[in-house]
Amino acid sequence: MLALRGQRILSKPKLLALRKYAQVALPEENEYTDTPVYPDIQDASLQARKLRERESVYANIRNLNTVEEKQIGLNMPRYYGWPCVQFKEDHIMYNAMPLVQYYTRTYFKTTDKLPEHYNQFSEIASSIVNEIKSLIEDCIVIENEGLKRNPLTDESKEGLQQKEDSLSKNIVRQINRIIINNIADKVPHILSSQVDYDPKHEAFWFMGGTDVPAKVVNWRKQFAWLKDRLHEPIDRPIQYTGSPILTIRNHLPLKPFIPYNEAENPEFKVEKFTYVPESVGYGVTFRHGTNIPGFWPGDLDEFGLLSYHKRGHILKRNEHFGTLDNLEALHCQAMKASFGWLLAQANYQGFTTYNDITYPLTTQTVITNGHLISFYAYQLNTITMNRDKIENNPKHNICFGTKPFLLYEKLENGKVMGLNEDVLKMLVQFYLNAPEEREHELKPYLGKEEQVIADIEDDNKRCWLESRYKHLMSNTPRHNLLPEVYHWEKIYKIQHKTRFFEAKRRPFELGINPFKRRLDDHLPSYIPKVLRPYPRSKKKFETTYYPKV
Amino acid sequence: MKLSRVLYAQHIGFMFKKHWVIQGKRVPIDSGVEQYLKEKGINVEDALEFVKEKPELRERLDIVGPYERPLPLDQNHPNYKEKPCYTLSNTSVLLEGICQAQVLTKTVIAEDKLPPRIEELAALSAPKAIHDGVKKAILSANVFDCQQKKLPKKKDLERPAYNFPRILGISDRRRNEVLTNRLLQLVEKSSDTDVTCNKYILNDVDCTTLFDKEEELIQFQDISNILVTSNKPLKHEIDNEDIPFIGIPDLYPIKHTISLPAQHFYDESSKYPIRSNISVKYPHTTWLHYNPTEVNNLYEEPVTPIQVLGRSLTHAFTIASAFAKQLYGEETKDLPEPVYVNCIQTDGQRFHFGIFELNTLNVEGTEGPKNVWYCKNDLKLYDSSRYLSGIPVLENYNPQIYGYINAFYNC
Repeated sequence: MLALRGQRILSKPKLLALRKYAQVALPEENEYTDTPVYPDIQDASLQARKLRERESVYANIRNLNTVEEKQIGLNMPRYYGWPCVQFKEDHIMYNAMPLVQYYTRTYFKTTDKLPEHYNQFSEIASSIVNEIKSLIEDCIVIENEGLKRNPLTDESKEGLQQKEDSLSKNIVRQINRIIINNIADKVPHILSSQVDYDPKHEAFWFMGGTDVPAKVVNWRKQFAWLKDRLHEPIDRPIQYTGSPILTIRNHLPLKPFIPYNEAENPEFKVEKFTYVPESVGYGVTFRHGTNIPGFWPGDLDEFGLLSYHKRGHILKRNEHFGTLDNLEALHCQAMKASFGWLLAQANYQGFTTYNDITYPLTTQTVITNGHLISFYAYQLNTITMNRDKIENNPKHNICFGTKPFLLYEKLENGKVMGLNEDVLKMLVQFYLNAPEEREHELKPYLGKEEQVIADIEDDNKRCWLESRYKHLMSNTPRHNLLPEVYHWEKIYKIQHKTRFFEAKRRPFELGINPFKRRLDDHLPSYIPKVLRPYPRSKKKFETTYYPKV
Repeated sequence: MKLSRVLYAQHIGFMFKKHWVIQGKRVPIDSGVEQYLKEKGINVEDALEFVKEKPELRERLDIVGPYERPLPLDQNHPNYKEKPCYTLSNTSVLLEGICQAQVLTKTVIAEDKLPPRIEELAALSAPKAIHDGVKKAILSANVFDCQQKKLPKKKDLERPAYNFPRILGISDRRRNEVLTNRLLQLVEKSSDTDVTCNKYILNDVDCTTLFDKEEELIQFQDISNILVTSNKPLKHEIDNEDIPFIGIPDLYPIKHTISLPAQHFYDESSKYPIRSNISVKYPHTTWLHYNPTEVNNLYEEPVTPIQVLGRSLTHAFTIASAFAKQLYGEETKDLPEPVYVNCIQTDGQRFHFGIFELNTLNVEGTEGPKNVWYCKNDLKLYDSSRYLSGIPVLENYNPQIYGYINAFYNC
């Protein structure tokens, strides 16, 4: 769109004149080999050329040194951000399970107990449960009845949700405190772990293998050369956003529940769900893709152990959805939350949605309202689902999940009746699952010296990248509004050509898609003359350090 | 230039205005039909009169909204009282700071003096792993947390109209929440299980105390950002003999209720957040956050350090007196046993430690038994922690603070 300024344009005769003076390079002596070596014959079809183009982008992102540059790299093609499918943690549509499973490539397994991996902690967990049982009972009573908090009197659905979420937040903090204080001197990983309250979790990935939306097909219909390619697959950008009540993270990753090669087991295959996400109810907004696991790159505790989530949103769902769908909604929430958090963590290890992880990551998720509690163990095996990989990627993610258990039967006369010790034991087992050092390299796609931008030596580049990265991640709206086709234009200019005599100036009249603008397609910031270096500097604009992808 | 040139020029607004005036005064053209019909003897009625219906009387509906509307704040409000109550909330400060707080709470101050047991415990050195944890907590709170909220506007005094780009970052509220909760978690993790079992931790609980002073009603409404409670009352052993107390000052010509707005809507009883049947109800340590963006003077002057110190004292008094009133009844004056409360106030960098000894709820005058405030103020946890040209830095970490926090928890 913006013409490149300052580029010298040479006329054709001048080019010819220049060519006259070109010299033939002297042939090197070892240019000849005994057997002829031919370059690979490349498929010259359009599809193959496009694929090679895309793959070079994937390779360019992989070759970037730092985490932040990779994240900017993911956003480079779109100035106004990607039209992202909004995957919110606490907003689950009716019958969304097939979609969520396909979009997170997760095989879901319902179980009554935790995976076998946890059996080793069974005994020690039982003894701990015996010690903390009475404390947990006390804290449930205190949080439910013993405090004079400002009552929320709002009896609407939103009010009930708020009430339940705030109660679950308080109870979860107490339970976490009791368990951690008890086991801090029994297992070493607890002391070095960090506990976050209300962190921000965001994750971004591309999903191929869905139907092409009608809008795209209609757009393609106007071009003759796209006649045979109307239904060529596209990538749908997906953005997950969520906020757990509490998370625990450590500098070492958890052990996988099943061996990595099991991930390719065809048993774990997930059913395809090719309908457009809008048909289920998931909407689209323009935003930059963000991957945030609750902290900025540079924090050393970058592997999650456990996250607690609230379930007040179940109260807000339509009653007609039924109990089965509510149960599935919890499973969906767990899959979204676990996948989203792990994907963001994987991004901090240098992997992106284009470059698959080379080792599995695991996390443990608890969804609770202080009374009902369900447990999920999630193993992330693959994160590439774009259109080039979706068909031939044999790996799947695995989620083990339980139904919601009652933590206790009921509250009566200021006493907890029937505390479910088995449930408490499961929770303690989650805490006892210790992270371990891995034998392989954790960050194969990051630089040796430069892994985050704080490691970059060039002061200007470091500062520029830092501010650009934070600004991109904040997703604050741009100063100028997004380009749009006004309704009157649509009626009088596009649908009915009533204003043919007017000068054609708007992008749609010139055949330009204003959204197809790269992130670096703007004038860099101007250096006022007084601030330019002494004595004389022709440099009018600041240098930009956008990654080359 | 001739004025007529301007007047001749077409002005669309002027044209439109004139046009509207003319069109607004349209006179119906007399077609002569009425006259003609009258001649024929036919009665003519005004069509509008014919069409007009009598207005139907409707009952006023009580519309049920999505939530119950709050009652209007007038004299029919159940909380309305004739007598005004001078209110200090957790987002306002006293004009005279700690001096005014002393007068209001009848307190003498032992500056820079904490009980010997606390000093002993604070001198114990913590293992390196703990200090690493504290450093992590500081960096988390100032650098690595992902909150991106609009921070207060930056202003340059030299050119006040200049607009700087808005900075997004961690708000002071979030910074304090992260830091204090992490510090407390670290203290608990390194303490014995027996100690932590007997304690309970509450976040963001409100506490209100209401008292008379010189025939005026005063209330303190405070929020304890972290309230540590225990299952037995906190005790301190302090030898009061050689301590040079700062006596209660005379505020003349200022009155002690200055800068406290009078309110007519209030509850007539004090409120302690934990019910009396709970075993872990005894207040132990209360953490107070000082969020510069939320705490203001009544007339928007910047808050001074003295006023910040005053907050600690009034806050500790609120907790201690609300608890004492729950324990001994609203009307008690001199307490049979003193109630102690530890108080830690922080803005994320400076820490003010204090111990409040509540001896009496009778705050009239300056004679008789008084309350005591032992404090150690203005200890810095670090010099700076931020992104310094793209690199996270933590400068001059002070390990002494952790010692005090640990001592306060374990005393």
